[in-house]
Amino acid sequence: MTAPPTMTAKPATGISSLLKTAFINALVALVLFSLMVGIRTEAGPDGQLTYWTRFGELASLVAIVFGGSIVIELLRLWMGPAGTEKLVPPAVQSGLSFVGRYLAPALLIFTLLVPVIFYNQRYILDLAILVLTYVMLGWGLNVVVGLAGLLDLGYVAFYAVGAYSYGLLATNFGWSFWICLPLAGILAAFWGVLLGFPVLRLRGDYLAIVTLAFGEIIRLVIINWQSLTGGPNGVSGIPRPTFFGIPLDNSDDGLAAKLGIEYSSTHRIVFLFYLILALALLTNWVTIRLRRLPIGRAWEALREDEVACRALGINTTTTKLTAFATGAMFGGFAGAFFATRQGFISPESFTFQESALVLAIVVLGGMGSQLGVALAALAMIGGFELFRGLETYRMLVFGMAMVLIMIWRPRGLIGHRAPTVYLTKAQAISSDLVKEGHG
Amino acid sequence: MTAAPNPLLAIRSLRAAYGKIEALKGVDVEINAGEIVALIGANGAGKSTLMMTIFGKPRARSGQILYEGRDITGVPTHEIAHLRIAQSPEGRRIFPRMSVAENLQMGADATGCTDAEREATLQRVFTLFPRLKERYAQRGGTLSGGEQQMLAIGRALMSRPRLLLLDEPSLGLAPLIARQIFDAIRTLNRQDGLTVLIVEQNANHALKLAHRGYVMVNGLITLAGTGAELLQRPEIRAAYLEGGRHG
Repeated sequence: MTAPPTMTAKPATGISSLLKTAFINALVALVLFSLMVGIRTEAGPDGQLTYWTRFGELASLVAIVFGGSIVIELLRLWMGPAGTEKLVPPAVQSGLSFVGRYLAPALLIFTLLVPVIFYNQRYILDLAILVLTYVMLGWGLNVVVGLAGLLDLGYVAFYAVGAYSYGLLATNFGWSFWICLPLAGILAAFWGVLLGFPVLRLRGDYLAIVTLAFGEIIRLVIINWQSLTGGPNGVSGIPRPTFFGIPLDNSDDGLAAKLGIEYSSTHRIVFLFYLILALALLTNWVTIRLRRLPIGRAWEALREDEVACRALGINTTTTKLTAFATGAMFGGFAGAFFATRQGFISPESFTFQESALVLAIVVLGGMGSQLGVALAALAMIGGFELFRGLETYRMLVFGMAMVLIMIWRPRGLIGHRAPTVYLTKAQAISSDLVKEGHG
Repeated sequence: MTAAPNPLLAIRSLRAAYGKIEALKGVDVEINAGEIVALIGANGAGKSTLMMTIFGKPRARSGQILYEGRDITGVPTHEIAHLRIAQSPEGRRIFPRMSVAENLQMGADATGCTDAEREATLQRVFTLFPRLKERYAQRGGTLSGGEQQMLAIGRALMSRPRLLLLDEPSLGLAPLIARQIFDAIRTLNRQDGLTVLIVEQNANHALKLAHRGYVMVNGLITLAGTGAELLQRPEIRAAYLEGGRHG
């Protein structure tokens, strides 16, 4: 028998170990790149193999790896071992809390002014509407995932129910957007309860699988129920929203003509922008209000400990169902908005990828944090557009950014939650001070 | 057995099981209003199961649980808390990511008391456990074990119960902290007239605190008597006191 391996993981100290790590990394790079980069092969004119060497490139690559690993090691030494809390200088801390206090109002004011600032930039306005749609979806899903702790991978189902509710009611019966909007929300909430019933006993992974399946079922029903939904062809000619009955078009009874101003197609975009902003803010407001009520507290307590909840006299059945219904309702509102904005909906818009995207926004933002979700939606949707120039590499950049954020901020961008019950004065406890103590 | 004509809680030949494994094999327990009753026994004797069966999870297979003369055997778990029975469950089970204030508020939420009543109860909890007032804005998960136990009891008290069920309140606590908890229970009983059923492995402490005690072995009550009586019984001393201390 060999001697047991000695478990000596000495901390990397000193210049020698630094150089050693860098040297090993460079060696690995040399082995890897010698064939990949060092030798270039190509088929010659007569079909024979020609090759030539590129030692210059190889040398520079190895040098980059060598230098890079020294820099990374130095950075690691400077930042301290992973997982330890770093002391933040008081000046930086007070600066951060200042930013924290004014970030949300500043963002809101900026958002209100977006159509004014970017009036002539249609692309930015469209992007802003898209971002706000995802902010709203994120806030809606936040009720289910962030507050109630029910992992829902099929959220897109409610988005689809909302979109098709409006699309079908408007095209078949000619009902206006403002009548269909609450109906879409109610129908989505109804489907939320319907999903809620069979999954009442499930938690975590099992719940995730069932909700995932639910999302797919809704999509497949939409594809296959051709007579009602038009199947893969979707629903087209969905009416645009009206300003409480006044259409936003170039006609004589359009809003522009009534106000006596020149018609511009941007009016409708700006209107859509404020519409989704209002819907998103409604979602936010309702969520914040609910969190202060017993039902919102019960959602959060349910996330923490279901057994304790029951012992405290909380009806976990209705608590879960209301969480599903509330989240689904906001998803339905967002769906109705999506339908009226696009004018055309098809099952392709409601794939699992959408659910995953919204869930990523919620997790990235910090479960339960309203501002965090908004920032994450901005980063995910806006950032995705920002890297459009990188073409196929943008997925790579995107994935890498997500991994880095999850390493540095494992609880999401905004990890702390503000308590809702106070004795004298409000006092938020930063997540940095707290190590989770699950019972 | 010394039983008053109308006990607050009467458990009659109660049976409960997890699947095929029978955890309670016909248990009879009576708790009179204003009493502290201790339930002692070894690991796996069925003490916690009895406490949970009172709360309807698991459901009783047969037998009766009478509370103020009313049969509550089939009442759903969440409604039992509305009958002014409160529970501080085993392992404390506080809400770690919520603040102390929110944890306490959760205790009051489901029972529907007035703001004034809630405020009065809160002040009472703070008098009993001043530590909770100091930690009011802190997350539950950041409290020490003893503070978490205080919070669990405080949360149960927020529903203004007549009957408090405590499952192993001294589990994993330093002796000094455990003593504080027991003192608080005694105060609650004497000053507020709270009826308490306490499940404990720490037989010595529990029997000194309790008016009466029951000893449970393998799902059956084998001995009953006043706390002082039980403490003197040689078999108790051998099984739970000397033996337990050194074994």
